[in-house]
Order: sequence, then C-alpha cells, then structure tokens
Amino acid sequence: MTGNTKFIAAGLLIVAAVAYLIVTSTGSTAHYFLTIEEVQAMGSEARHRRLTISGAVLGDTIDYDSSRPRVTFTIVQMPGDPREVERRGGLAKVLHDAVNDPDAPRMDVVYDDVKPDLLQEESQAIIRGELGEDGRFYADEVLLKCPTRYEEGIPKQAEES
Amino acid sequence: MLADIGTILTGLGLASALYAVFAVLWSMREEDERWWESGRNGVVAAAGLLGLAVLVLLVAFLQDVFSIDYVAKHSSRSLPIYLKASAVWGGQDGSLLLWAFLQALFAALLLVRPSKEARPLLPWATAFMSLITSFFVAMTLFLSNPFELSQTVPVDGQGLNPLLRHPGMVFHPPALYLGYVGLAVPFALALAAVMTRRVDDWSKAARPWALAAWLFLGLGLFLGMRWAYDVLGWGGYWGWDPVENAGLMPWLTATGLLHALIMEDRRRGFHWWSMILTMLSFVLVLFGTFTTRSGLIQSVHAFARSALGPYFLVAMGVALFGSLALFYGRRRLLSTPDESQDLFSREGVFNLTLVLLLTITGSVLIGSLLPTLTEALTESRFEAGPAWFDRVTGPQFAALVLVMGVCPLLGRAVGAVRALRREGLPTLAGGVIVPAVGALVGFTRPLSLVAFAVVGLAGGTAVAEFVRAGMRRRRGGEPLLRAFWSAWGRNRRRYGGYLVHLGVILMALGVIGTRFYPFETEAVLSVGESVEVKEYTLTFADLERTSSGDPVSTRASLAVYRHGSYLRTLHPSLDEYTAFRQTVAVPAVRTGLREDLYLVLAGWSDGGSRATVKIFVNPLASFLWLGGLVLMAGGSVAFWPKAKAAHLSVPEARRRRVVGTAAVVVGLLVLIVAAWAMWGGSGQTAASVGRAGQGEAAPAGRSGRRPRVGEPAPDITVELLDGSAFSLSELGGEVTVINFWSPDCQPCRDELPDLQAVWERYQARGVTVVGISLPNLEDDVVDAVSEFGVTYPVGLDSVAPTEYGITGVPETFLVGPEGNVAYVHIGPLSADQLEEELSALVAE
Repeated sequence: MTGNTKFIAAGLLIVAAVAYLIVTSTGSTAHYFLTIEEVQAMGSEARHRRLTISGAVLGDTIDYDSSRPRVTFTIVQMPGDPREVERRGGLAKVLHDAVNDPDAPRMDVVYDDVKPDLLQEESQAIIRGELGEDGRFYADEVLLKCPTRYEEGIPKQAEES
Repeated sequence: MLADIGTILTGLGLASALYAVFAVLWSMREEDERWWESGRNGVVAAAGLLGLAVLVLLVAFLQDVFSIDYVAKHSSRSLPIYLKASAVWGGQDGSLLLWAFLQALFAALLLVRPSKEARPLLPWATAFMSLITSFFVAMTLFLSNPFELSQTVPVDGQGLNPLLRHPGMVFHPPALYLGYVGLAVPFALALAAVMTRRVDDWSKAARPWALAAWLFLGLGLFLGMRWAYDVLGWGGYWGWDPVENAGLMPWLTATGLLHALIMEDRRRGFHWWSMILTMLSFVLVLFGTFTTRSGLIQSVHAFARSALGPYFLVAMGVALFGSLALFYGRRRLLSTPDESQDLFSREGVFNLTLVLLLTITGSVLIGSLLPTLTEALTESRFEAGPAWFDRVTGPQFAALVLVMGVCPLLGRAVGAVRALRREGLPTLAGGVIVPAVGALVGFTRPLSLVAFAVVGLAGGTAVAEFVRAGMRRRRGGEPLLRAFWSAWGRNRRRYGGYLVHLGVILMALGVIGTRFYPFETEAVLSVGESVEVKEYTLTFADLERTSSGDPVSTRASLAVYRHGSYLRTLHPSLDEYTAFRQTVAVPAVRTGLREDLYLVLAGWSDGGSRATVKIFVNPLASFLWLGGLVLMAGGSVAFWPKAKAAHLSVPEARRRRVVGTAAVVVGLLVLIVAAWAMWGGSGQTAASVGRAGQGEAAPAGRSGRRPRVGEPAPDITVELLDGSAFSLSELGGEVTVINFWSPDCQPCRDELPDLQAVWERYQARGVTVVGISLPNLEDDVVDAVSEFGVTYPVGLDSVAPTEYGITGVPETFLVGPEGNVAYVHIGPLSADQLEEELSALVAE
C-alpha cells in the first residue's frame, strides 16, 4: 500500500464508524417528530415511543402546582413543517389561528417540572416525552418559542430540561 | 431625520464597497497602480461610512428615537445606557448592520501594514473581501434596514427581553460576529492565492487572521455558554440547539484550519486541507446565518423573518461551488508531492485530527438537519435531542483528546512504543493518576473512568511539554523561573498551542463531570425547614419581595451547610417583568472546585412561607470555565509573535511590534471580558441591572427594601382612624407589632381577630399593635374594624408600606425595645405564632 491509500483507508474507517454511530443513535435516541393530529391518528401505537410534538399553547389551560412541581397545559394542533407554517402567513399567525380554532385537535400535557419562563398563551411548545395510558402526554422536556413579542428570538436556548 | 442619515450612509457604504471591487479588478486588468490606490480608498471609505451608520444607530438608541421601528422594538427609556448601546445588536437588523461594518473594517485592516507574505495576494483578496462586504451591506439595506421608520411613534419602546439583560449577552454577539467576519479573511486570501498561483506563502498570511477569528468565535461561544448557565436556570450550559450548533460548526473547522496552517509550514501537502477547511469555515458561517433566518430548522430561537434565507442559500452555493470549481481547476497547484508518510507519524496524527474534526462537524450538521433529512429519506420525521448528540459526538471528542495526548510524542521519535518508553512517562502517569483521583473523589462509573484516563493521558503530555522545555534551559544554568519564562517566550506559538490543549483538557474534565454525573432534585420547604441533598443541608430562611416596579423580584434565602458546617447563604430569585409578562428565574450558584451547587427558585406558596426549590449539583463544572479561560489565554499567547528578531528590517520589525501590541491588547481584552462575564457579572447582576433602570423613577430616599431581622426598623408616622397620629419613634422603646393589611384580602381579615386577641393580652405588658392599610380603602377599613371589633390603633398610610418594602399583604413586623426589627412574617399569622415570638421579646 502506498502512503495515500493507507490514509484513505484509515479515513474511511473513521467515517464508517461515525456513520454507524449516527445510524444506531437515530434508532435509539432520536425522537419521532409528529404533530398532534399524527399522534392521534396513530392511536395506541403511539404509546411507549419517544416522541417530539409541537403545538400552540392555550394560555388559559396552564395550571402550575409549584409544590410538586407540576405544570399541566393544553396544546393545539399546528403544522409541523416550517414551510407549511410559512405558507400560512408565518409563525405568529399560525399560532394565533390555532389557539382560536375550537375544532383543532388538542392534547393535554403533563410536565413534572418547574414552569418554564416562556410558557404562555400562543407560544409554540416543542415537547419531548411519551404518551401516557390516560391519553395525556407526559413531557420530560419542553422547549418554547414566542413569535409575537420576541420576534428576534433569544440567541441562546430558553430551555428547561 | 436620523433614520435618513443612517440609510444614506449605508447606501453610500454599499456604493463604496462595490466601487472598490470594480476598481481593484480594473487595476489588475490594466495593471494600473492608480486604480489600485483608488480601490483601496474605496475600501477605507466603505469601512468609515458603515462605521458612521452604526454610530448613527447607536445615537438613535441613546436618544430614544422610537420613530425608528428597530429602536422601538429593542429598547425603552428606562434601560440603562450600556444595555441601550448593546441593543444595537439586540436584533436581526442591527446585528446585520454591525456585521456589514465589521466586514468592511476587516477588509480595510487587511490593507494596513500587510505582511510580506500577504502583499502579493492583496488585490484579489481585497476584491473578494469587498464583494462579501457588498453582499452583507445589500442584505442590510434592502431586506432588513434597521433605520426603517415605524408607522406610529410609540411613547416608549418595547424594551429589551429580560433574558438578554446580562453582561454575557452584551459581548456574546459582537464576539461571534468578529469570529464570523474574521473567517472571511483567510477565505479571501485562499482564493487570492489560488488565483495568483502563489499558494506557498498564503498560510503565513492567513495564520494571524485565522487565529484571531478562532479566538473571537471561541469567546462568543464561551460567553453564550456562561450566559445559559447564569441566566436560563436549567442547570446546564449547552443544549445542542441548532443555533448553538451553527456557531460551533465553523469553530470546529477553524480549529482544523489552524492545525492545517501549522503543518503547512513543514509539509506542503497540507494545502488541500487548509484550502478546504478555510472554505468550509466560511460556508458554515453563511449556513449558520441561513438556518437561523430561514426557518428550515426547528429551533427554539430561530429568527422569525425569512426574507434573508434564500439569498444566504444562494451566497452559500456560490461560495461552495465557486471555490470548489476554482480549486479543482488549479488542482495541480495544490497537489501533494508524493512523500512517503507513516500513519503514525506526526503528519499522520495531524491528518487524523483533521478527519476527526470534520466528522464531528459533519455529525453536528446531520443532527441539526435530522428532521429534514429523515423526512426526505424515510416516511417519518426524526429529531435529534441532546442524547443523540452526546452519544454521537462523545466518542469522537474522546478520540480527539486522545490524539491530542499522543501527537506531541510522535513528533520526536519514530515508533510509538519507543517514544512512549523514552518520553511517555508523564503521559502514562497522567493516564493513571487522573482516573485514580477521580475514583477516590467519588466518580466511579466505569465509562467516566475511561474518559478520565484519556484526559489524563493528554494532560500528562501537555504538562510535560511545558516542564521539559523549561528544564532544558534550567540545565543551561539559568534560574528556575527565568528558564521557564524564556523557554516559553521563545516559541510562543507552540506553547500557546499547548496551553490551548491544556484548556481543552480542563474543559473536558468539566464536560465529563457534568454529563456523566448530572444530579437534580426538587424540594418544597417551609420557613426554617431543611433538606439534605448529598452532603449538603439547605435551610430555607425566608422569602423577600423586593421593591415595586419592573421587575418585581422575589428572593429566597437558603443557608447552605456541608457536613454540618455553614458554607454560605444563596439567594435564587424569581424576577417578574410585568411589561414583558415574563418571569425569569435567576439561579444562585455556589461554585466549588469539586462541584457547583446550583439553586433555582421554582415558586412559592402560602404567602411566601413555603418555597419550591430546584437543586442541581454539577460536578467539576468550574473546570469548564477555568478551561475556557486557559484556552483563551493560550490562544492570545499564540497570537503574540516572536518578540526579538534581530535580522528583521526596520519596517518589518515595527510592523511586528504593532501586531504584537495589538495582540496583547486583544488578548487582555478577551480575558477581561470573559472573566467579568463569568464572575463579575453573574446572574444576580442581570436582575439588579433591570432594577437599577427602574430605580430612577422610584421616589427618592429609602430604596423600599424590606428591613431584615436585626436592622433598625424604619420610623413611620401614620394618621390613625380617630385622627390622632401614631409615630414609631415616639413610642419610646415599646415592643411593637406592625401589621400591614388590606380589608379586601381574606387572609388579612382572618388574622384580625388573632391580632385583637394578642393586643388584649399584651397591652398591659407594654406591647403596641398597629394595623396599617392603604388610604384608598378608608370606608372598607372602617367597616372591617367595626365588624371584627378591632380596638388596637389602625391607620391609613401610603408611605409606610414602601418604607417597609411591602409588595403584598398581609405582612407583619415585630419591633423590639431597641427599635430593631425582631421578626418578619410574610403571609397570615396566627395568634399562637405571634405570641411565641412576643413572649421571647417581652420576657427579656
């Protein structure tokens, strides 16, 4: 083997190892990214799986018991595809429409943690966790973004994990 | 008016930058020096004009010109001046203008005292730099002009998001932009080198720029991490959010670029590497901007407006495919002379390092795009969370640290085994000692011990490098300290590099500690109650609601004990920004070498007598920050060129002195900013800054803070219902119970009979009870007094509650015979409780 082929072989070996890591990690630790509609369409199949769901937060439903602590709130169906969101007039409008649509699918969320700073009416919640037997979604991570006031975004994660 | 000036200046800046591109290209075509001169002037003019535009925006912020939409959306009258100034880059429009200005500035700086290696590359490099500048200025001017007027002129601006009111956030964006802009310079130089077929010297020309860009980008990321730790209150510092990743990826490729540039000195074969890495770094900067603005990626803080996205995508495509085509066209220029290389030689290990840096970058990229990728390839959308990133990149980072430890050994002796026998003792010692110490201190998980061993190997090597260099000169007879000083001073780039490695190793310790041994729990505590967390005991002392205004801050005091001995009292707080309808939980951290104790106030109940606290224990977290500082220091040292070089010509020596001074200033600045952001301006400052801003509006005199136990009770004079006056100072040493209440508050009404009972029992023993309510409810007060048969003095006053820092009712204060506050109670109080406290005082 000449010098170069040795290097190429070694490089390929590393790339293959990394590719293996990526594929197996995607199987084991990545989450299904679904909308509320999709989760409800899956029925009981959606249980016992790591899921990520995004939805619009209904401000009136936020209930915080700081002594446990536990937050419960309801999220409303919104499109998961950013391009679809853009087509419907931007995030702010989509969130506003979702919250004001009484027929849109909804889901109750239980989050056993401190109430996140940004949890409020019409914020977009990206929620990771599992669907419980009672049909409620038990979250272990809640990410939030509010398009109206903080249009420019918060340059680092406003994350509660 | 101001807005027009700003827009015109930006427009003129664009014209100058475009003119510079044209003039420089023309000068090369015509081979006419005068066009070159003119082009240079264009570059300088663009920098000056855009600098003025930034200045105009700054003035608009300082003068509260809310007719400008951008100012109205990112500032308010009450913001302190330094936050108004930093609001210039608080949003997309302003930060893009700043970026355009810095881009122009760097194009101009490239022309100032160029090194002899850079000189022949300047025309092409200037043309490319000005082209990039023009792109950014055009984006600013046409798609997100910060000088746009608003439809209506608001009385006050919307203010700056409370989360951004932190010193780390003041410097984080400009540091990142300096890094981004800096990476454009090596890219422009690389293209120029290929165009002019002078690839042999370009590494020397590009090196200082690449190093500076890498340093600033690193500082930006570092400040962002510290900000997350100090402000966001989730106990962590890195969440693998796509926006964070967007900053990390160019930094990784820039790290690779620095290594490739170093190797290029020795082996020409690294041309390919350095060219590709320069190009990737620049493209990744554009990619980061594209993803955060386009909405392609689901991120917590993607910028909402997307008009910029497509343009950045096009720019990215042009930069990527244009330069690839150029490199391919000139591939013979870049091709490697076929040297026989050993896989485990120094070159081999450098190659390995670069491959690893690229695979990490690639992994992060794939992770960020996973939802989009999986949707295109399979039916379902997958999303990568922190667990995915930790699992994929963890082993790669470990391999990188391992290579870092082995690499310097391979440099000197051929054959790994022989090298290990001769010089590997410190390496092996480190590999044994670090996990052993880790295990002794209590970090016993097998995988973490392996990680510690890897870190120890690398650490042993890095330390040995320093010591060995010093010892060699020591043998020459020099005194110990001077030997080390001169040894390291002689090759600053090399030892700066090792210092960076040492910083990485320290940071790795922090990452291992916090990722392998995360600990978090919650506790609900009543006043006086304690909770045991690992070897700590936390006692909840009290809850204080400070000041009115915005924000209203609720601050808990928790005494921290370890193994029974008192450490200190921590004050996590909840700041409610009413104008923003947002609550910010400001964590309190007790930093220790072994671990950080990190407390977050999650909420309170029962009028403040119970608090919910989140408790994190972050092992080895301080190593992360310490490592970051060492890394920055190392980078600054490496930036410092060799001091004495007698053989240099006078202008060259002067040039180096100028660069050297600049390096020292930049390095010091970087360290000061980093250190200040970490320790000077911790989370508490962010909160107090907000308060100071409101303080101007508050009435003069006492700040309205609730007096603590032991402090003198503020004197108050209150008009009573019967028309007489009650004055605390005139009571002359009587024990006094002051109850702040309101007739429309049920708990307050509930406690009236209790207070009445205490008054009846203790009146004869020299105890006074006084009830104070706000004046606007006089009728209700009178009704309540008669309904509950209250006979103790009750008055109406608006000053007294501020004097005592009251923000809610009921609150009760007990003043002792010496006029000091003896007891404070927030929330309703029972007769039994009050009597217990009173009996202690009266018995004295």
